[in-house]
Amino acid sequence: MPEPITEPTAESPAELPELNPIIHGKLRLALLSLLSTVEEAEFTWLRAKTNSTDGNLGAQLLKLEEAGYVAMEKKFVMRKPQTLYRMTESGRQALTDYVQALKQLLGSAINA
Amino acid sequence: MTTSPEEQELKDRLSLIETMIAEGRQTTESWGWTFVLWGIAYYVAIAWSTWGHSNFAWPVTMIGTGILTGVVASRMTNRQPETTIGRAISAIWIGVGTSLFIFCLSASIAGRIDLQTFVAAVAAMLGAANAISSIILKWKGQFACALVWWASAAASCFSTSSQSSIIFLVAIFFGQIVFGVYMMFSEARERKTQTGNSGAAHA
Repeated sequence: MPEPITEPTAESPAELPELNPIIHGKLRLALLSLLSTVEEAEFTWLRAKTNSTDGNLGAQLLKLEEAGYVAMEKKFVMRKPQTLYRMTESGRQALTDYVQALKQLLGSAINA
Repeated sequence: MTTSPEEQELKDRLSLIETMIAEGRQTTESWGWTFVLWGIAYYVAIAWSTWGHSNFAWPVTMIGTGILTGVVASRMTNRQPETTIGRAISAIWIGVGTSLFIFCLSASIAGRIDLQTFVAAVAAMLGAANAISSIILKWKGQFACALVWWASAAASCFSTSSQSSIIFLVAIFFGQIVFGVYMMFSEARERKTQTGNSGAAHA
């Protein structure tokens, strides 16, 4: 069972100006990383992988959706409702930029 | 050398990305049972066509097994997200499965193809599907399975009808039943240890 991923009480975007504050949140970063590996994923799968609560997960996915990083689709499969999320192109670009920024900030300390 | 809290936080973020990408790629899909099921289906079709002398043995068995596979697989993978590799593997097996079905149906109804050619064609197609899957999954175990099928295809071309039957039965046993059971054990072991080292729990 993975450790629950929770949002920090205070993020520090001011100290880390190069990092995208929307992606920097732990749960949002975990969600984008997960979604980068699949074509689309169900809400329940994301919840299981991040071990988060429905409310927190829904709120963080909404923030990512509002930023245009993920797209949501509701549909019925064999009469059961499914909420599917997929990463958008801008979400993929934002995650790539974030990783590049992280690597630049860490510099030589990355392998220490 | 000490690490500042900010630096540690950045490292934690990088580690989180790596962990989540690994988590996302790790699926719990199980496909070993399909190899065993289709191995049994081939035996049923062979027995039915040999002792039942029916032209419908192959098509009926293949359609029945295809429907059964589709129903069980849709229930098992219902909550699994689709990955690019997963879709590639599905595409191979759907494509080869359709080719096999059309070939087996036409060959058995027409009745103009000798057993050696029939076995060689089926074995070559199964060898190709297993080889492509193994290359995508980087799984040597499945490539060995492909070699079994290819060897059977080649051997069948130089065999008598009765020898070709034996070759086919042996290839089904090793390429479907034994490999399927091995795959099921690998999948169970990897689910238990949460690793995905072999192609069984594919990345």
